[in-house]
Amino acid sequence: MANIKKEKNRDAFIPTSSMSDIAFLLLLFFMVSTVFVQEKKFWVERERWPLAESIERVPRNHTTTIYVMRDETILIDDIPTRIESSEDVFVSTTLIRKKEEDPELVVCFRTDRETKYGVMSDVMRQLQDAQTLVVTFETQKRAD
Amino acid sequence: MKIGRKRKAKAEIPTSSMSDIAFLLIVFFMATTKFDVKEGIRIVLPQATAEGSEQVQSLTLTENEMTRLQITEDGRLAVNKDAPRDYESGELDVLIQQKLKLNQQMIFKVITDRDATYNDMIRVVDRLKAADIEKISLSTN
Repeated sequence: MANIKKEKNRDAFIPTSSMSDIAFLLLLFFMVSTVFVQEKKFWVERERWPLAESIERVPRNHTTTIYVMRDETILIDDIPTRIESSEDVFVSTTLIRKKEEDPELVVCFRTDRETKYGVMSDVMRQLQDAQTLVVTFETQKRAD
Repeated sequence: MKIGRKRKAKAEIPTSSMSDIAFLLIVFFMATTKFDVKEGIRIVLPQATAEGSEQVQSLTLTENEMTRLQITEDGRLAVNKDAPRDYESGELDVLIQQKLKLNQQMIFKVITDRDATYNDMIRVVDRLKAADIEKISLSTN
């Protein structure tokens, strides 16, 4: 009669030696992709943006952001400016330069919802002068 | 007397808790990371033309071709020649659909008072965008 050997149960084992490598890889990804947003002196908090329903996403790579505060201060490239007269063309000159660097430039407005429309109209006029015609008004998604 | 040789202790850095530390750091970064996605209402502005330029053509559009939505300084809305009044979002949607029934290619001209708020303009443009209207003109008085 043949001798039948009892099969030994193998120990279940999950290799964990490379776990820390994976963890560090993930860590590296988050460290590289994280940009800490610094609180600026001039800033329009998300809570101050208008609410809207029909919003679309804008790819970040061709965008530049213009902040318009309630006191009509305009912030472009971290430089505050104001439009008091037709001679204040800082916005258009800045955008002409930016448009030369990136012809697909999209201007995103982060505007306080209580800002008077007049200043927005003046800024948009300068955008037209700079041939920067694609704009996005950043809004919060309205929760229904 | 027998003097025993001292055994050299093996130098070792304990690495067993390394993954715990790494995962803790990951959790921190995952919790603090907020992807800065840009979302909003997209508009294409018309080309600027100098006053008196030959490119400027005056067009006379009828009410069947263009609807004027005039926003007053207190945020009320006047449609074409009607008196300004408050519109709820639903009412505005119905009005837009009525205008589109008249003409699918209807142009909507949003004329916002300089003293009206930006929010008033966005509220109207949002309803137009919700109705998939692309022919939106923004101006001020």
